[in-house]
Amino acid sequence: MKLYKKEGNVLQVLSFPGETVEKGDYLLVDDSEARKALIVQVIDVQFASIPGVLEELLRSLPDGGELIQGEDIDPLEIAPHITFIQDASLLFCKIRATVENENLSPSSSWLPSRSQSTIKRLPLPTLLKLAKVEGKLPIVLGCTKDSSLLTIDASSLDGRLNIITGKKETGKSHLSKLLMVNLVGYRATVVVFDLNGEYHSLGMTNDGKRNAIYDKIHVLTPSQNFKLALNQLNLHVLLGILIHALHLPGTSAREFRHIWQSLKDRDSLTLHELGETIRNWNCNQQVRDALFSRYHSLVNSGFVTDNIAEATMLEDCLFKAKEQGGAIIINLRNTGSIDRQIVVEYVLGKLVESLTSWKLKAVFLFAEEAHLYLRETYWDDIVTRMRHFGIFTTFITNQPDTIRDNIYRQADNIFLFNFTNEHDLDVVSRAARVDAETVRSIARDLPPHHCLALGKAVRDFPIVTKVKAMDVKTMGETRLFFTNTTTG
Amino acid sequence: MDTVLPHQFIELSLYSLRHRLQVNQHSIQQINSPQEYVQTLRLNPEPILLKPLHIENVVAAVDTSTIKIGDTNTGIVIAVRGANVWKQNGNYRYTRIGPFIFHVTEENKSEVYNTLQSAYFGTQHGPSHQNTPNLLQMPTRIATLLERWLQKMLSRTISNGLILFDGSLTSGTPDTPTQRIEEILGTARKRANIVLAFSKMTSLRVNGHLITDLLPNHQPPYLLEVDGFRPRPPVVLLGNIYVARLTRENYAFRVDIDKEVPTEPKIEAVEKLLGNDIFSQSYPETLRLAHILCTFTANEVLAMQHFVTRKFGLHVFNRPDMHKILFGPYGKGEAYS
Repeated sequence: MKLYKKEGNVLQVLSFPGETVEKGDYLLVDDSEARKALIVQVIDVQFASIPGVLEELLRSLPDGGELIQGEDIDPLEIAPHITFIQDASLLFCKIRATVENENLSPSSSWLPSRSQSTIKRLPLPTLLKLAKVEGKLPIVLGCTKDSSLLTIDASSLDGRLNIITGKKETGKSHLSKLLMVNLVGYRATVVVFDLNGEYHSLGMTNDGKRNAIYDKIHVLTPSQNFKLALNQLNLHVLLGILIHALHLPGTSAREFRHIWQSLKDRDSLTLHELGETIRNWNCNQQVRDALFSRYHSLVNSGFVTDNIAEATMLEDCLFKAKEQGGAIIINLRNTGSIDRQIVVEYVLGKLVESLTSWKLKAVFLFAEEAHLYLRETYWDDIVTRMRHFGIFTTFITNQPDTIRDNIYRQADNIFLFNFTNEHDLDVVSRAARVDAETVRSIARDLPPHHCLALGKAVRDFPIVTKVKAMDVKTMGETRLFFTNTTTG
Repeated sequence: MDTVLPHQFIELSLYSLRHRLQVNQHSIQQINSPQEYVQTLRLNPEPILLKPLHIENVVAAVDTSTIKIGDTNTGIVIAVRGANVWKQNGNYRYTRIGPFIFHVTEENKSEVYNTLQSAYFGTQHGPSHQNTPNLLQMPTRIATLLERWLQKMLSRTISNGLILFDGSLTSGTPDTPTQRIEEILGTARKRANIVLAFSKMTSLRVNGHLITDLLPNHQPPYLLEVDGFRPRPPVVLLGNIYVARLTRENYAFRVDIDKEVPTEPKIEAVEKLLGNDIFSQSYPETLRLAHILCTFTANEVLAMQHFVTRKFGLHVFNRPDMHKILFGPYGKGEAYS
């Protein structure tokens, strides 16, 4: 390989046949005289612009368009040299760091010698070692192209905002399960908004047996094993549900506050009593109607109950998870849109409550397709306020444009699966931790189950990995019409 | 086709390259063929009208190409390649020979040229330097040697065919001895072949106009007969000259047809050519392919430079262009001088 050109922080390297380099690979441009080396990553591979190649290709085609048949007598064996030149490729590489005395710095302000520098592939294990990617709490993400393991440190997800995105069926949920299982293994508390009922079998192996974390998985299905009694609820949390999920106007909310206080004073915080109080409350008819419609929404959701025995204490699950690590899976699969928002509002409110009162230390929140249940104002809350409370969110989506720009800009880690759509790539490329060219070029060519890890987890060295398989019962498969049908 | 190459060509090529000499990359240009001398020319304005004859005939063509791939302190490094293309049963086939790379110096040019001549044709000019081309003529001379050998091979192997040469049937020039062309044409005739030579460029003029510009307002295809061409000795013309306009496009070429062939078969040969080959811009596809296949591309020049560097340790460097140095933007480069 030969150094050809440098424009900005893009290095162009001429590569010859036999030097198999692909997108995503790292190269070390070593200038021994300067005692420095550049670490660059190949983001695109193109044919080198060799003069005369077009003529070479065209001349073998006569008018009919078929290849002309013939014999080449090449006694000096020049043909391999022609092929050698013709197949030369130009590698477009992003400068990632400078190595000086085995220390890495992000500088790219110096220029290595074009004539003296040696260029060779930098094996990923060496890079990972240089970048000190591994830590005390290793999570093996998968296998890299050179068959080494990509291991990140669980602490690189701690206090961070993460995004897992890619088009359908590329392995996003698989990676989120992998992260989740490992976090639970390190006794972390994980809460999952499981939109498609994919996570409730995390405690089972592929063949249906219980695995090591079986006892740490708590699946809560709203209106089934996840119900609330009004007296377990904090007014603040309930008002959040009424205002944000059920869009209760301010005046009515004020009236509700009085009703709640009255019920609490009477120690009658039940659904039945709430209905009766609204009915008999001395207030404007429109306010009453507004309160009644929200009351019925609560009743119809089946999420609120007067039967204390039925009520589940979310806090209990959280505390259990706090002690031994565990995942609370909020199964939203068969939950309607409004009810979903009620549940999410409740869970988030409860989490904030528990975290502010230091009953919980921190929670890793995994949110699949969050735009379907997360209210507008929560997006900003999640990246700013909630992070300080100790809610560290991982968004999982196949529609990257549903996540706001500011989330991408503040994301600490992005696990990017294949995207071919230009618009999707555009959106993701707004992430602050990586340049747009890398995202566009590498993500487009990622095979299924391969992800490009970006951000703090990989010390800002974008690395492609094949996400490792897990012995966990898969539940994310799409239900098909033609499965097991025979054609006649 | 007989494709047995004299080993001398390869051996000489390797021998000439084994001298460790520095190669100086320089502008690549081909040297034109020597000028013909024209006397009282006449162009018959009455066209000989042609009808394509669709009788199955082999059409074969020969062309060679040469290129300078660099300068050395003592000479030049050149490459030569030749191609035979033939059309049979509607399909084009080719045999491409080369490239052969030679390092030619003032010291070895006689040896190289004479050794090749004797290897190809069993003749040589002897130790005298009188007939040895100068260094700049060497690429064309070596290419011409290869071309004559390829023509000889075709005339020996094809029968009842039409053999197309690039250029004219003029002989008696230092690189084209009359005896050699006569032998080739004679061999072709014995095997019932007819040789037609197409010149892409001609310097023949009638009343100051190029013969290929004096086209009557008549529907092609047709031939115009040219006579009165008496070259100065020792140059001899072994063909009859025609101007051929074979397609609607306004292009015409000088075509020489073996003069030992009677007139009627000559005309019939062009008609058979029209019936057997594809024509574009009045030029036969077989000959076009032969030209295209042997021409060197810039990519190949790079490859050959790579070859001589790798195999023979020659270091390529750019010799400064004095025109550019002296005249800056007004210096058009040495190729234009």
